[in-house]
Amino acid sequence: MADQFAALIIVVPLIASLFVPVIGWWKKRLCYPWVVAVLVIPLISSLSVLNTVMTTGKFSYRLGGWAPPWGIEYMLDHLSAFVLVIVSSISLIVAIYSKKSIEDNLPEKTVPFYTLFLLLVTGLMGIVITGDVFNLFVFLEISALSCYALIAIGEEGAPMATFNYIIIGTIGACFYLLGIGYLYIATGSLNMADLANILPDLYHSKVILVAFAFFTVGLAIKAGLFPLHTWLPDAYCTAPSAVSALIAPLMTKVAAYVMIRLLFTVFQPNFSVNMVPVMPILGWLSVMAIFWGGIKALAQTDLKRMLVYVVVAEVGYIVIGVSVANRMGLTGAILHIMNDAVMMACLFLVVGAILYKTGTREIQQLRHLNKKMPFTMAAFTITALSMVGIPPACGFFSKWYLILGTIEAGQWVWAAALLCSSLINAVLFFRVIECAYLKPMEPAYALNGGETKHEEIQRDEAPLTMLVPIVITAAGVILLGIFSGKIISSVIQFAVPASF
Amino acid sequence: MKVIALIAVIMTGALLIYGVEDMPKWSDPNSPASSHVSPQYIQEATEKTATPNIVTAVLADYRSYDTMGETVVVFTAAIGCILMLRKKRNGEGG
Amino acid sequence: MLDYVISKYNFWIYIILMMIGLYAMIGKKNLVKKLIGMNIFQSAIILFYVSIGVKAGATVPILSGHGHGHEAIEVANYINPLPHVLMLTAIVVSIATTGIALASLILIYRKYNTLEEDEILKIRKETGA
Repeated sequence: MADQFAALIIVVPLIASLFVPVIGWWKKRLCYPWVVAVLVIPLISSLSVLNTVMTTGKFSYRLGGWAPPWGIEYMLDHLSAFVLVIVSSISLIVAIYSKKSIEDNLPEKTVPFYTLFLLLVTGLMGIVITGDVFNLFVFLEISALSCYALIAIGEEGAPMATFNYIIIGTIGACFYLLGIGYLYIATGSLNMADLANILPDLYHSKVILVAFAFFTVGLAIKAGLFPLHTWLPDAYCTAPSAVSALIAPLMTKVAAYVMIRLLFTVFQPNFSVNMVPVMPILGWLSVMAIFWGGIKALAQTDLKRMLVYVVVAEVGYIVIGVSVANRMGLTGAILHIMNDAVMMACLFLVVGAILYKTGTREIQQLRHLNKKMPFTMAAFTITALSMVGIPPACGFFSKWYLILGTIEAGQWVWAAALLCSSLINAVLFFRVIECAYLKPMEPAYALNGGETKHEEIQRDEAPLTMLVPIVITAAGVILLGIFSGKIISSVIQFAVPASF
Repeated sequence: MKVIALIAVIMTGALLIYGVEDMPKWSDPNSPASSHVSPQYIQEATEKTATPNIVTAVLADYRSYDTMGETVVVFTAAIGCILMLRKKRNGEGG
Repeated sequence: MLDYVISKYNFWIYIILMMIGLYAMIGKKNLVKKLIGMNIFQSAIILFYVSIGVKAGATVPILSGHGHGHEAIEVANYINPLPHVLMLTAIVVSIATTGIALASLILIYRKYNTLEEDEILKIRKETGA
């Protein structure tokens, strides 16, 4: 039974998504409890898989019982089990949160929304769990297609952002597909473990080099790495709150996971680090991503748009950890996949709640939010401190490892970039916190408002379905920080390729 | 935009042409693609799956998980179109 | 040299097709043309995959005479089935993507009444969005 959990992770949300239209046709309001209940199962299954992996080491699951190079298998090791837990828990939290946001914004679209929500989660988990490069492409497309549709129903400008995303995202996916084709023509295999065995003899082949280049570019597009991030800000910003809270933490991180998987499992580190000059290129691009994302974020007056640019910068963090290519850096990168997913989830959930309650995302209009929405703002503040990198919040630890990694690799500029971005984040988030906590009522505003000046500001906290996920993620930010030593020693150190 | 497009196209094309040099000749029966995994499909697919068409055997049996994903993609697209295009009844329809 | 070009002519054809598609996707102003470019791009990849499967002197992988599995099956007589399987999936994926893209084009047209990218940008600038 225990090893069947691996299959449940994909099968349950997939089958459940087929039932959402049926349930919605019967009773629309049952969709939400159905989705939440269903998403608990992948979380339990992935925790169980992680437990199995931690006790007995990595294992594979053959689909249909066909032996690996001919059939398709799941590859479950520390890395994929770890990312699975992240994906399933974040998606459950966002599903809980989505209730009010959808009821309020898109009441007539509840049914297809939840169907696609489950399909998106299925796609993301399928990407993480699979051990077959072509199967990964199929799930990449499932997640991408559901993501396109979910973004398109957002606010003003969303269809145009979606179309751009479709075009650029398809280029990324096709480059990935082309990479598979080149690998296949040179090796004749599609299975990751099999490829890893065959490839070392072919490292000098130009076909493999080209395949590697297409994989890297395709995944850099999917991960939104500078300068291929141009689709990202508009798409994430115009999406409905519940959608951006799901895709901002997960889509780019899953793409970063695939990048780690391909660079260090399918191709050996020996090839990706020593034989092609890809690591310095990725590293410098991520330095630019960090600065460009930070500077663009500073220029924004819209809170959500600011966070979207922070996402661009955060992708840079993870890729820097990958490109220093040593144990410290990669530990930092994998830890940051988790931390960033939790922090981004929390921030986007908070923005959604603020939008729901106040109807604005302008930073200047967040005055007195600490009195109106004390818990939400407390969660925001905790996460902001984590983004800046103040212990014991989790952001500090991943950044610590990343900086140690860059120093070990002798890349002082990269280390400086990471430190600078902490400063940028401090400015960014302090600006918001200042507006929310400290700014007094403007005189003009007080005059217009007349009597509001003397009125006590009413507490107007977000509804419970929104507040609970926010508080959980904020608590997660602290707890993951406190237990990060344990997480590293029990999971991540095994997830880093052994040759480092 | 045209210039960026041209640069991107030329770079991609150059990369592709560079890669062709080490490609096996077209229609070479001994190329790696035709000699690693696929011979076993041809040899044992009929016996194991009782399907004379090997493409069908691979599609619906060896790699049926991919095919499931493929049908899910169609389902996703259908639901996606419903989500994007369906209007409330009181509009001009659609 | 000519021999080299001819022996790999499948690759040249797909590269040219792919470049046409990629250029249309990035360079064209009209959104429908971008979409058509996307389709050309995907078709090029599909042709590339199918051409991997070809073996000289082989036929389609349907074993009509081997139903009972007693005769030996000569691998060289049948083309590689795997690329065909992969491309069946990829064709479906590309059609699904086209569907979603067309749906988003309908949304764009409803909003802006045009499908020219520069005109849309102008409208958006004028309305301040």
